[in-house]
Amino acid sequence: MNEKESISEDIKELVIARLDIMPSTYKLSIGSEGTFTRKQLIEHVIAEDKIGNQITRMQLNFIKALTTGKLIETLNKNG
Amino acid sequence: MDNLLLVTRPKYDDGTEYLSAYALEVLKEAKKSNASVKDFEGKEANKENVEKYLKSKNPKLIFLNGHGSECEIYGHKEEVIFSLDNVNLLKNKITYARACFSASILGHEIVKNNSGCFIGYIYPFSFWMDGKRSATPLKDKIAGMFLNPSNEIVVSLLNGETAKKANEISKKMMAANMRKILSMEQKNEPGATGMLQILWDNYEGQVVLGNEEMCF
Repeated sequence: MNEKESISEDIKELVIARLDIMPSTYKLSIGSEGTFTRKQLIEHVIAEDKIGNQITRMQLNFIKALTTGKLIETLNKNG
Repeated sequence: MDNLLLVTRPKYDDGTEYLSAYALEVLKEAKKSNASVKDFEGKEANKENVEKYLKSKNPKLIFLNGHGSECEIYGHKEEVIFSLDNVNLLKNKITYARACFSASILGHEIVKNNSGCFIGYIYPFSFWMDGKRSATPLKDKIAGMFLNPSNEIVVSLLNGETAKKANEISKKMMAANMRKILSMEQKNEPGATGMLQILWDNYEGQVVLGNEEMCF
């Protein structure tokens, strides 16, 4: 996913809902992009900028792993 | 080539402070082994110092901490230490770069036409931290879920494992942490899903390039 790809409102809402339940004291370090609170992450997702799209990609990647069974397969393999 | 370990630990923002603190744990393990360590900390983690040491001492294992991009790995205050112009210095060595995107392009160039190995990330290396613990990163159990498995790569290499096995051991620890996070989710602990997806991204993004059978 790059900055120019537009994200559907449904996906954006899902990503924001998941971020919104993170504890307020938690911060996410994303390399040289910096360290972000949940509030800042949500702002980036809404803005659909580079950081917001990176967060969205991570969440979609995770959902794909869940729905395809890849996550469970990985946990079983490494059990 | 002697059993030398070169480490870079820039420290100038939250992310690098954490990476640096956790890398110190690896240095403690190195002291227990027969490895000699050269540790470039803070502003000492710069291109001039690292290049000079590589050329004069020829260390076999390189552990880079800091920020990165597809074609660069940074030192203190984002001074470029490695780019496509000086990857030849990392040839025939084992390099682990705990840096975003380091395995996308740079890592491939490092292992091209030589017997060396590169371990890094095709995605950002990300981690959650608890702001209440940011003054004492090693007491931050949240960050530890992400950073301890990555430490395990170098610890395993110091213990004589191949690069392939070191990566597998690290990923096993990540999977164990994912199971712990899943059990947190079942107890409705806040933030578990958010942590799980970042750890999954690190799991999928961590790759070994080149000679996987290489040992320290």
